[in-house]
Amino acid sequence: MPLEDFAGEADRCSQCSYCKWIPFDHVKSWRFAKNCPSIAYHNFNSYSARGRYAVTRSLLRGQVEYTDTLRRIIFTCLACGSCDVSCKICRYNLEPLEMVRELKFRAVEDGQGLEAHRAVVESLNREQNTMSQPRARRGDWADELDVPRLPKDKAEIVFHAGCRSSYDPQLQATARAAVTLLRDVGVNVGIMGERELCCGGRVYAMGYREEFARFAQANVKAWASAGVKMVVTSCADGYHAFKRLYPRLGLQVEVLHTVELLARLIEDGKLKFRSPVPMMVTYHDPCHLGRQGEPFVPWNGVEKKIFNQIIVYEPKRPRYNGAWGVYDPPRQVLRSIPGLELVEMERIQEHSWCCGAGGGVREAYPEFSLWTAGERIAEAWATGAEALVTSCPWCERNFMDANGASGEPMPVYDIVDLVQKAML
Amino acid sequence: MALSRHIYQALEDIVGPENISDDPAVLESYRYSLAHTAIHVGPYYDTFTPRGLAVLLPGSTEEVQAIVRLCNKYRIKFKASSTFWSAQGYPSDDNTIQLDMRRMDRILEIDEKNMFAVIESGVIGATLQAEAMKRGLNTHIPGSGCSCSPLASATSYFGSGPGNLFGGWYYDNLLGVEWVMPTGEVMRTGALGSGCGWFCGEGPGPSLRGIFRGFTGAKGALGVFTKCALKLFPWPGPDKLPVEGRPPAYRSPLPRELFRAYTLAFPSWKAWADAAYMIWDAGIGYLAHRQFNMFGRDLKFAMVKILTNPDGTLNDLEELLQDPEVRRVTGESERDFQIVLAGMTPRDLEWQERALDEMLARTGGWKVEAMNVPEIHDWALLYLIRLGHKNLNLVYGGGYDGCFGLFGVPDFGARRVEEAAAFKKEWENKGAIVASGGDCMMGPIGGQGGGGTCLWENFTHFDPHDRDSVEGTREFFDASTEFALRKGWGVGMEKWNAAAVGPDGRTPSKEVRDKIHLSAPQPSIYSYQAKIREAFNPNNLGDAYYETLE
Repeated sequence: MPLEDFAGEADRCSQCSYCKWIPFDHVKSWRFAKNCPSIAYHNFNSYSARGRYAVTRSLLRGQVEYTDTLRRIIFTCLACGSCDVSCKICRYNLEPLEMVRELKFRAVEDGQGLEAHRAVVESLNREQNTMSQPRARRGDWADELDVPRLPKDKAEIVFHAGCRSSYDPQLQATARAAVTLLRDVGVNVGIMGERELCCGGRVYAMGYREEFARFAQANVKAWASAGVKMVVTSCADGYHAFKRLYPRLGLQVEVLHTVELLARLIEDGKLKFRSPVPMMVTYHDPCHLGRQGEPFVPWNGVEKKIFNQIIVYEPKRPRYNGAWGVYDPPRQVLRSIPGLELVEMERIQEHSWCCGAGGGVREAYPEFSLWTAGERIAEAWATGAEALVTSCPWCERNFMDANGASGEPMPVYDIVDLVQKAML
Repeated sequence: MALSRHIYQALEDIVGPENISDDPAVLESYRYSLAHTAIHVGPYYDTFTPRGLAVLLPGSTEEVQAIVRLCNKYRIKFKASSTFWSAQGYPSDDNTIQLDMRRMDRILEIDEKNMFAVIESGVIGATLQAEAMKRGLNTHIPGSGCSCSPLASATSYFGSGPGNLFGGWYYDNLLGVEWVMPTGEVMRTGALGSGCGWFCGEGPGPSLRGIFRGFTGAKGALGVFTKCALKLFPWPGPDKLPVEGRPPAYRSPLPRELFRAYTLAFPSWKAWADAAYMIWDAGIGYLAHRQFNMFGRDLKFAMVKILTNPDGTLNDLEELLQDPEVRRVTGESERDFQIVLAGMTPRDLEWQERALDEMLARTGGWKVEAMNVPEIHDWALLYLIRLGHKNLNLVYGGGYDGCFGLFGVPDFGARRVEEAAAFKKEWENKGAIVASGGDCMMGPIGGQGGGGTCLWENFTHFDPHDRDSVEGTREFFDASTEFALRKGWGVGMEKWNAAAVGPDGRTPSKEVRDKIHLSAPQPSIYSYQAKIREAFNPNNLGDAYYETLE
């Protein structure tokens, strides 16, 4: 909905600052009580959801003009959604994450997008990926795999590697491991190879709505013509795009993250581990798999009032507050690995701290992005774990890049890496 | 209005370029809407507190001191705020710089043996409580909730909350204080002032609590409080609150042999008040508050059902209110309050439980059983201990304020609640405010000697985005004031700040303020405060929240 439609929310924002903290019930220490990296790093109110509501109001009223500061306020939002969860502990009629997305869309429409983001969009338009890499090499990561390549070969399940795993040399092995694991246990999974397209999720979070829609429609069409019934991905960004954003544009196939499929296979007894992995690990919930991984619920309604002034929606509006994100499957997989001990950080699941890679922040504000990742690594160390495990290549990349900037570097794994170890 | 470049540069030299801004987009996020919450004035539609000249994020007492000295030199007003809960933390005059104390957020010390904590301005209740619990201690959480600054509540405002009963109000709890006075001098009060540590608020050393704080606090108008020590009290629970459940229906399964959360209800208001006295006299209870009634007498149990269901929304209200069981419980808990019992030992809890049962037998009261089912009990327990859902004040549409504010012993409010509720209900029928049953009276139980005190705040919910709702609410508040004055109850809290903020969000003229102060029952208080201001704040760089009559 257009930014103008958030004028009511801007007036109704409580200005309470709950958006700056994890849900208070979960606060276990002074050190790890904050939730929003943007306000934690910049400190001025404007870098929180409540501040961005004020910015929205001021922009709509023409009280502020675009400046470098305003652009920074808008684009240092990681779109991680932690403010959204905390706000909705008490509020039922505000959508801060949606508001910030609209703020970014508006800034881009007003020609105020960032140079770093424009470079990503150019890469997307030119090479169909966000990594500034040649399109023709997108499938190279799977060269050594015996795997059906759609649409030439047939498979009802497609594994979507995503831009990061396709091109990042340090992460390609995880994508290969995922496909190999699935095929080894009898899942007839194929890939699109060099015909795979970016999900568009990352440019959506940068404010490029039209580019996103174009790629979404292209993917939906490609999968339909290839006869795909299920999309599996190891990328949380891709998962969120397919699961939450694509259905608005007509996607009807089932979407699973790799960890969901692995958990199913373990539960069905189809995936059995052979080797212990004696390691104490802690798990980082990627924002787009965790709190933003809730299933899409179609809604087309209007605001109305009951009891004179209580604001509700006709019909009842779906409430995305992180309650039903993908939290259990990754933990089930980790707990199934013999010898592996999972210890939890203080900020987990719906109130997890972001890795710092989202919202276009990694591309435009690398220092802030790596600080955010460093904060998470510090939290991981505080658990006593010897490794940090996640289920998104963007999180993994950011942790690897931030590793060692302050303190000892921490080994970082994708869950699939540990599953592979346990299969040996 | 803008700061001259050389003053901006001088301020930037103090805090560093990353900790100062006069960008309009930043300044706009430091304006408060007078259309929407507990500011005790208005509400005024589409009105905001003035835009400050700049926002600064000081990182130390020395920086605060340097800023205040510079403000004195150039006669610039300053307003410090820690957590920005209400309009009182924002500039109310032009020519004001805003200090955001967020960076000064360290817990400097928790003295386990002597049971106090030393904190900076930006510490919030939740983090202090979490750290105290690791040491078997707890802190009083301000009634505005754990998102707020204990230092601000203790040095500059009432400092009341559900913890009054066991932990005392913050005016009881305030020990040594580090205060950057309005002139820029640093005053260390209580034992701290004589180099003896933080342990005492009164001495050996200067005791100035009555000056800088009094009962209601100077609301940020008398300098900047940078550090303080607060009394802590025993916490018999685990070192971390165990939390289960999906948002927002979090619950804490604390040991049953040590913790209970009850909603008590009574056959009459006299019985209600008698129970409040008995609880105080017997010394039982850890937290006590009439809390969930803030949703309204008719809606409160339906709201509890929604809040304890992760899939619940406000849309469910109408259907829930058709449920005979919900209606029965709603009726049963008309005259209620919540109490948390915490035993230092299981035997202690057993004794408290028996004492409570005896009080209920004597007063004819009862425990509302529907609130004792585990998922509601454990939710209410967590809610009251952490007080981390206080933004529910604004749940219906984003606007609320308290009216009446019947501050006194339990009988004072209890005798008037039905009249106040009936009056509000008439106004609910006009449509501008939420129809919730007239009685949205809420507030703490106990907290002072002689039978305890209660602060009855009749919550009024409205839509800040709807001009008719805002203006209708203001008409209701005006009528409430007239009604309360006619009844001899005094000015309700809906007008408490009328002398500090006017319809344009700025401090009214001196003539208007003087008129308000002269009409007060005891105007000499404001004359006395004028003398204090003259002595401590000679350049008058605070705002009108510190009320004076020259």
